[in-house]
Amino acid sequence: MSAGAQAAPAAIPSPEPMTLRQRVVGAIPWAGWLVLAVLLAIPALGGGRYLVYLGTLIALQAALATSLNIVMGYAGQFAMSHSAFYGIGAYASAILVASVGLNFWLAVPIAMLCAGALAAAIGYPALRYTGGVHLALITFAFGELARLVAANWDTLTGGPMGMRVMYSPGSFLGFDLSSAKGLYWLAAGMLLVCLLVTELIQRSRFGRGLVAVREDETLASFLGVNVVGYKVAAYVISSMLAAMVGCAYAPIMNFISPDLLSAHETISLIGVLILGGIGTVAGPIIGTFLFFGIPEMLRVARLYRLVVLGVVIVVVALFLPQGIAGVVRQRVERWKRGLR
Amino acid sequence: MDLIQTLLDGLMVGGLYATVAIGVTLVFGIMGILNFAHGQMVMLGAYTAFFVVSAGLGFWPALAIGMVAMGALGLLLERAVFRYTLGDHMQGLTASLGLIMVIENLAAAAFTPDPRNFEPPLPGSFQVLGLTLSSQRMLVLVLVVVLVVACHLFLQKTRIGKAIRAMGQNRTGAALVGIQTSQVTAVVFVLGSAMAGAAGVLYGSLFAITPYMASAPLMKGFILTVLGGLGSVPGAVLAGFLLGVAESLGSRYLSASFRDGYGFILLIVALLYFPRGLLGQRGKMRV
Repeated sequence: MSAGAQAAPAAIPSPEPMTLRQRVVGAIPWAGWLVLAVLLAIPALGGGRYLVYLGTLIALQAALATSLNIVMGYAGQFAMSHSAFYGIGAYASAILVASVGLNFWLAVPIAMLCAGALAAAIGYPALRYTGGVHLALITFAFGELARLVAANWDTLTGGPMGMRVMYSPGSFLGFDLSSAKGLYWLAAGMLLVCLLVTELIQRSRFGRGLVAVREDETLASFLGVNVVGYKVAAYVISSMLAAMVGCAYAPIMNFISPDLLSAHETISLIGVLILGGIGTVAGPIIGTFLFFGIPEMLRVARLYRLVVLGVVIVVVALFLPQGIAGVVRQRVERWKRGLR
Repeated sequence: MDLIQTLLDGLMVGGLYATVAIGVTLVFGIMGILNFAHGQMVMLGAYTAFFVVSAGLGFWPALAIGMVAMGALGLLLERAVFRYTLGDHMQGLTASLGLIMVIENLAAAAFTPDPRNFEPPLPGSFQVLGLTLSSQRMLVLVLVVVLVVACHLFLQKTRIGKAIRAMGQNRTGAALVGIQTSQVTAVVFVLGSAMAGAAGVLYGSLFAITPYMASAPLMKGFILTVLGGLGSVPGAVLAGFLLGVAESLGSRYLSASFRDGYGFILLIVALLYFPRGLLGQRGKMRV
């Protein structure tokens, strides 16, 4: 009897009251969500046209970076085809809506399914091998190929001159999304969906398996993780989300060109992730703000922004590989454990 | 006749790809540095040749200066950046993506995006057995063969070439038997970059030079490195000629606008059925 009572506290974590530090640390994610909610509300409530437009762009980019984070940050696989799937989503939905005459909300899932099937077909041969180099090569080649197809299939995509898009997404659950603010909410909604998927993955068995794969594929396979299946699943989910964000791009920009698919867009996304903190929920959003938000407000010339961006990517890759959110998380963990 | 003509054209273009692929094989296949900025070196090599030829010095000095200049740039990048990323493919890849943005945007600002050309040393064409051959393409093919043979002999016969191959097999083992791995890495990077410079000069003598020309040769270089077998110089060269012929046949008989797509299809097939590549020794690890 007494022995059992003695053993119980050791086996089950005791319901000790949390220390102040633990409570503060536990509140940080909630504070983060609150800051995000405030930031999302600013353009919608009290913004002029420029602020709404800027907010739309940043929300789109942040959604795209968040979706790339699933395959790069959690699964640790270098997918260079992300902008290609973004573009494929934009083209597919635009063609479905404008030429076939489907409803926008029906075109989105169809475009996502197309992207998912393509991603599975490309991801499987490349992801069978350990190390991730094959995926980087094959996805880079695929992205270039997709851009070539978009530039050359004149009858369907309008060729290198691009394609005008003249439709609006219509209403969704009673909300009218055709005005500028409606489009902003569309982009913000995409961001929230990507964040939700990331959160769900992070909290699931699947997400923990992905992190195990990222850290050590051989060890993960010994622990019973289906390594190839998990990697392919992460790549497919990430690419489908990219296609979903692409569907929003078309009515927001009213114009799609093959440049959307170029590898440079993926490169800047990777820069965003690395700077913000790869494998964290907040990282892609922090990175997007630093890369697109602040320079846009400061009106720095596009050319030098990209050069500075390149230098930042190199410096961060060499000296701060875990990114801003990664460093903050590390510091917070140490503070919580009382290590200063 | 048409078929033979197409095959010969393919061999010439393939030789050009092989030159890029040798550089990538040395840096990526042997040293394990995934340098996506290799294509930017091809582009800078082509611009070097353009400016040297425009200054009236002629094609041969341009080739020499292009190779030396890119070799020097390679040394700088290796010492400043890639020396620190040796243990981690992905870190090196990320750093090289940053370098791409810096080099490409600076090049676009300095050289303007207008396409440029320079006068090839052998203009015109000649006739053999009823085939029409472009003199410049023939010269490029000869130069490529010379470069490939020189590179192969260097790797097989010289002391440092043997050290490079030893490091390709086992870095720690090479260090244990007294090879200065840090210096050899620098040599490999310089050699690979000089090959990129040479490829750039040859590219520039056939095609238009723009700041954005880098991605096609880069993509082909990587495809060929995987296709030929990681770390195998003869494999990369063989794959280069194969890709050139495949592209040439494909654009002649199927569709010219998807020229760059045939290599991608070859890569998918290779990864599915020959993951070791044509002449690769090492198998790929899979879990």
